[in-house]
This record gives sequence, structure tokens and C-alpha cells, in this order.
Amino acid sequence: MAAATPAISPELRKRRELGDLLRKQYRWIDRTWDAVFWITAVFIVAGAADITKLLFAGDWDFWTDWKDAQWWPVLTPFATIIIPSALQYIQWTAWRFPTGATYTSVCLFFASWLGRYFQWHVAEGYPLNFVYPVTTVGAGLIMDLILLETKSYILTSLFGSAAWAFFVWAYNYVSLAPFLQPAQFMHHIVTVADVQGIAYLRSQTPEYLRHIERGTLRSFLGETQYVALVFGMSVSIVGYWIGQFIGRYLSVWPIRRYIKNY
Amino acid sequence: MAVVQKRAVAEYRGGPATLAGYGPTDWLGGWRPLWYSCGIILACNLFLWIWDYNFEYYAGLNSNSREFTLYYRTLFWGELISLGIFTGLWYGWLVRTGRELLGEKIEHAEEVRRIAVMWSIIGATSLSLWIEASFWPNWDGAWHQTMVRDTALTPTHIPMFYFFFPLSAILALGTYLYGRFRVPALYGADKGFPWSFTLLIAACVLECVQVAFNEWGHSLWIAEEFFAAPFHWPFVTYGWLAGGMFAFWGETIFRLYEIEKAAEQEQSQPMAEVSG
Repeated sequence: MAAATPAISPELRKRRELGDLLRKQYRWIDRTWDAVFWITAVFIVAGAADITKLLFAGDWDFWTDWKDAQWWPVLTPFATIIIPSALQYIQWTAWRFPTGATYTSVCLFFASWLGRYFQWHVAEGYPLNFVYPVTTVGAGLIMDLILLETKSYILTSLFGSAAWAFFVWAYNYVSLAPFLQPAQFMHHIVTVADVQGIAYLRSQTPEYLRHIERGTLRSFLGETQYVALVFGMSVSIVGYWIGQFIGRYLSVWPIRRYIKNY
Repeated sequence: MAVVQKRAVAEYRGGPATLAGYGPTDWLGGWRPLWYSCGIILACNLFLWIWDYNFEYYAGLNSNSREFTLYYRTLFWGELISLGIFTGLWYGWLVRTGRELLGEKIEHAEEVRRIAVMWSIIGATSLSLWIEASFWPNWDGAWHQTMVRDTALTPTHIPMFYFFFPLSAILALGTYLYGRFRVPALYGADKGFPWSFTLLIAACVLECVQVAFNEWGHSLWIAEEFFAAPFHWPFVTYGWLAGGMFAFWGETIFRLYEIEKAAEQEQSQPMAEVSG
């Protein structure tokens, strides 16, 4: 008599089925598709992320003397979170990869530096320490980690967006701080960044568009940036959901009929 | 020996003999258009970058000068004419040869190769979109915030607005035309117009519309350059609507699985008949 086959649990059966599916050999679906997708997507992701940053917070990103305590911590995280949020939705939905924000941040990092180096520095002669871009890679890692841990877009929008705004400011403040040191220039106390802004002429950005910090409640003094930071966290939540809209309705929703067919 | 092996593998995978033994997903088979399309785009970009680097200060500051006409108006018209000729020839070829293919039975391997070609053109579109959305806008910001402009055809606008902007639209629409005739299971006339291409083409066309609005606005009330100005904001729509590219990738991947499934069934059918 043949020995009875031991019964396997439904969970184990499902795992085996998934394992078989994973190891399945296809005739034409090979690694070249993965390579082409991940490499060519870099360009559109970098382009979308950079144009969004340039048009919503570009001036605050171009110059050190615009990286102020009031607007920079509000506008920069809002402008930079939109595309990472969209990619987070796409990559998490498609593969359960908690990598969308980091992937976008790395793409944006290279795109921004290429632009700043070749166009601002080589072609126009601005020193890189005046026109360097912000980095969002650290903030992207944290936001992806929050998605991985919570597995929830709502919680990621609340805590991840707040973390994004904080870490965008914190990581970039390290490189900005030396330029906020006081300097005496033409009998005035200004920052080193202000000296850069005065030394390098921007004829088409007139003085009335030059960023001069002011505040109606002077008692805030050095706390201004922390107030701005908390507001930036709130605004980032809005940016996160704009990104979710792009991921959900402009990238994934159009293929719903193909999913149904399959 | 290696060539013989490669040919044997390609034949097993159904690669057409016309591709010198390369299969539909070999780097020099179905993916070949990716290399030369991206190579041409990068060469054009390099040419335009060197052109601007050499002549922007010498000829690009005064649009009334003879030098400007010689170096920049000529470049502007040269770009538009070359793009027009390229579009006419490419679209003409796509439609003319595509009509002849309509109704023909497509082998699985050939359909896979055609999807790889579509991915290649979309890859080139992605590259073009990065150049127009990130690479040149950086120079645009640097140039316009520093120099006083007196024309819409500035040295940075000419490559960006009048070459790469229309090029992306041409590539996106061309990809659809390719699919319309060559991958009818997904993009045939009876399937309707897909949302993926609707969004992607809308992205590319809207950016051209926004160029017109932008220059109109600059001529009317904002002569200075403030990059984050509200009337620049609509430019972001093309970055966002280009999300349709992910929809394209998604729907073609589903089609690849359908092809694999069909090939698998065809292979197992004769065996079932024999054993039956």
C-alpha cells in the first residue's frame, strides 16, 4: 500500500504556488525588460521630479541666499514630495517595493546635479557652493521606511510627510549652516550667503524679488524656522496626496481594463 | 561557435532570421532601436549644448544683431525644418508600411519584438522628456535670471522649447502610430484610443501650449524671471501627465503575459492530442 501523502496547509500550498510562479521560466519575459524599465524610467521620473521642484520652489533651491528660514522649509518639502509619493504608490502597488521615494530622490539628485554643474557652473560661471541643489535622499529613505512599517498610505501621509519635511530641512541645513554665518560687508552685518547674492549679479531677478527676511512678530526671532518647519510638515501632506493622485489616476488607473482582462 | 549557439537559441525563442540571429529581446535584436534612438537624441543634445556654450555670449544677447540672426534664428529654423522632415518621413513610413501589415497574422515572437521596439521608442521619449524638463530648464533659469532678454527666441529657449518639446510630442505620437498598426491586440483601431497615450500625448502637447502662454505672459506683464511664478506653474502638468508612460508599461506587460500563455497552450496542445 502506498503511504498517504501528508496533508499540506492552504498557506503552504499558496506559498508553493507563488514560489513556482516566481521561478517559472518564460520564453520571452526575461531580465532585459526589467533593465529597460528601471533604466529608462529614471529619465521621466527625474524630469518630472525636477520640473516640479523648479517651478514650485526653484528660486529657493537655486541660490543659498534664498534658502531662508520662512519660505524655504515650507515650499521645498511640498515641491519635492509630490513625485516621490506618486512613485511610492506605483512601486508599492506593483511589486510591494517600499522604494518609490528613495528611487525618485536618487533620480532627482543626479538630474539636479547634472543641471547645476553643466548649466549653472560650467556655462554661466556660478560657483557650485552658491547654486547647489537640495538633496532628498535621506528623507526618501525615511518615508519609504514608514510605508514599509505601516503598510498604509494614510499613515505614511501623516507621519511620512512630516518626516519628509523635517529631514529635507535637517539634512540640507548641514550644508547650509556655514553660509548663514555673519559677515561684515560694506559696514553692514549680513550672512555669507548674502555676500554671495550681492557679489553675483542677477540682472533679471530685481531687488524687489530678492529675498529679504522679515517678520511681523519679532518675538519669534530664531523660532521662525521651527514654526515654518511645522507648517511645512502640514503642507507636505497636501503634496503627498497630489502625488498619490498622479500615481493612482494618471499611472495605474488607465490600465484597469487590462488588469480585468488578465 | 558562439554565433551558432546564439542563432540556435534565437530560433528556439522564435527570433526572426532577418535580425541576423538575434532574438526579439536580445540587446541587438528587439532592443536595438533603444540604442540608436537614445544615441541620436544625446548627440543632438550635445551639439546644442556646445552650440550654446560657444555662441550664447557672442551672439545671443541682442536679438537685433546680425550675429543673432546668423547663429540663433538659423538654428531655430534649422530645428523646426529638420523636425518637420523627420516627422513627415517617419510618420509616413509608419502609416504606409503599417497599412500593409493590417490583417496579417502576427507570430508571437514578432509581436514580442514589436513591443520591445515600442518600449525602445518610449525609452527615447523618456530621455527627451528629461532633457526638456530638467537639463535645459536649469540653463533656462541660469540664463534668464542673469541676462536681460529681448525676445522669446532666447539661446536657451531655442533648443528647449523648439526642439526637445516638439520632439517629445513627435516621439509619443509616433509610438502610438507604431502600435496602432503593428500591435493591434493592444492598440488596434477597434480598441479605441488608450488612456495611456491620451495622457502621454496630452502631456507633450500641453507643454507646447504652455510655451505659447508663457511667452505671451512674458511679453505682457512679467518681463523679469521669477522661476516659481504662478504663470510658470502650468508647466508641471507635462511632468505629471507623463505618468501615462507607466500605464503604457503596465498594459504592454499584461500583453506579454498573454502571449506567453498563448504560446504555452499552443505547445501543450499537440502533446495532449497525442496522449489522448
